[in-house]
Amino acid sequence: MIRAFVSGMRIHVVQFSRNPFDLSGVFLWPILYASIAYYLLDAKNDPRLLLAASLGAAVMLMWSLVVIGSSNALENQRWLGTLELLVAAPVPFAVVIAPICVASGFVGGYGIAATLAWGRLIYHVPLSIDHPVAFAVALPACILAIGMLGLVMASTFVLYRAAFSLGIALQYPVWIATGLLVPLSTLPAFVRWIGWFLGPYWGFRAIRESALGSAPWPDIGMCIAVSAAYFVVGTLCLRVFVRVARARGSLKLT
Amino acid sequence: MNSLRVFFVGGVMSYRALFNWINPWVFVPHTLGYPIFEILFFAYLGRFAGVQSDKFFLIGNAFMAIAMTGFFGMGNAIGGERRSQTLATLLASPANRFALFLGRAVPSVLTGLVVSATAFSVCRVILGVHFHPSELGGLVVAALVASFACTSFGLCLGALGLRGRSVSLFADMIGGSMLLLSGANVPFDRLPGAVQALGRLLPLTHGIAAGRELGAGASLGAVSGLLGTEALVGCVYFGIGVVMLRVLEFEGRRSATLETF
Repeated sequence: MIRAFVSGMRIHVVQFSRNPFDLSGVFLWPILYASIAYYLLDAKNDPRLLLAASLGAAVMLMWSLVVIGSSNALENQRWLGTLELLVAAPVPFAVVIAPICVASGFVGGYGIAATLAWGRLIYHVPLSIDHPVAFAVALPACILAIGMLGLVMASTFVLYRAAFSLGIALQYPVWIATGLLVPLSTLPAFVRWIGWFLGPYWGFRAIRESALGSAPWPDIGMCIAVSAAYFVVGTLCLRVFVRVARARGSLKLT
Repeated sequence: MNSLRVFFVGGVMSYRALFNWINPWVFVPHTLGYPIFEILFFAYLGRFAGVQSDKFFLIGNAFMAIAMTGFFGMGNAIGGERRSQTLATLLASPANRFALFLGRAVPSVLTGLVVSATAFSVCRVILGVHFHPSELGGLVVAALVASFACTSFGLCLGALGLRGRSVSLFADMIGGSMLLLSGANVPFDRLPGAVQALGRLLPLTHGIAAGRELGAGASLGAVSGLLGTEALVGCVYFGIGVVMLRVLEFEGRRSATLETF
């Protein structure tokens, strides 16, 4: 299973990185949202706020790539007629899907480099990472947490053939509920509680805290904890939803 | 007469086919959810930044919803045929190209107007923004002009689908760039001069500016210059789009790329 996961990761990272045009979106989107935040916040005297906005924009892209990338990847398997073969393979289906989700998050990591470079070159945002070691751990922990939440979402995509539309619709709600650009304190109280259950919330906190010098390790721990929980929930959901899809004979429907 | 038949019958069939692919019970919340959450996201970001009022973001992003359907309606009209491998067959027919693709795009554009109006109404209640009825009438006029300009621009994007295969992604990137370039979410005077100049050449920019003035109580006569400019921008892109449809169809046939996806 580890071999299937690792080779799946490698194949999907290479596949997602292959088309320069597709990849241009990975660089454009976080730069775009970060730029909107820069112009709105106009915080020349608070470079740490701009750095937090850059990181938030990059995590926004990570979530988008996971939720859209994984739904699109599943839809492509349907169109290519390979989804049934993947379900029929002796390897658990979760091990086939998880690399797609984590690879999407990994490619989203390019966005962090692009956004930080853009902020530095255009807006002179200082690139001071207060805890480099914690940052190096927080980044993969964030990718894992977001990727595993994608696994839970992907289980519904197996059942639902218009998965791509659902993926697109889930972007903004999660961006809002996890406080990536808009602080949760400005939102209604009930929204703050939703973020606690979402991987991007803990992933962003882990990255931000390690970059801006507070206490990142508890948030990194939460990333790992929610990732484990998502993996269990995602695996169970996949098992149930695949059974339903097989019973309905809807795996092949495009 | 035949072109009218192609326009109406083709458009209706294409729209019905959409609901064969996606359940309306899923389509409606998905289509409405995206613009509603987009408006809320930027309105709360504006509140946090202390920039402009909720009305500013409400109008800007409601117009963005119109733009996106204008871009995607035309882009997907051709891209969808390519994906379902029917583009070559369609282009082998003697039907008028313009009627063919516009017929497929118009239902999407009308849906976009309804979606934008609904998202606007829902977010108006959530954010507690008030408009005078006369202001709403003016906004409808500005929205229709902006819709024409964005659909014309979408015609150019759709024509690219005759030659390239990632038009939806391209339209998505252009649409995303409009969040910044059109001044939908950033006061135009805060943008660098070059970005402002680029924004003025694009559809939507003048439409949003007119919409904001109308929302602030200006009369239609007072914003006629902005609406006229938006309509002119739309006419220019319309002309470019028609030429592109002709040229790129020829190019697609010549390079045998109509069936690649």
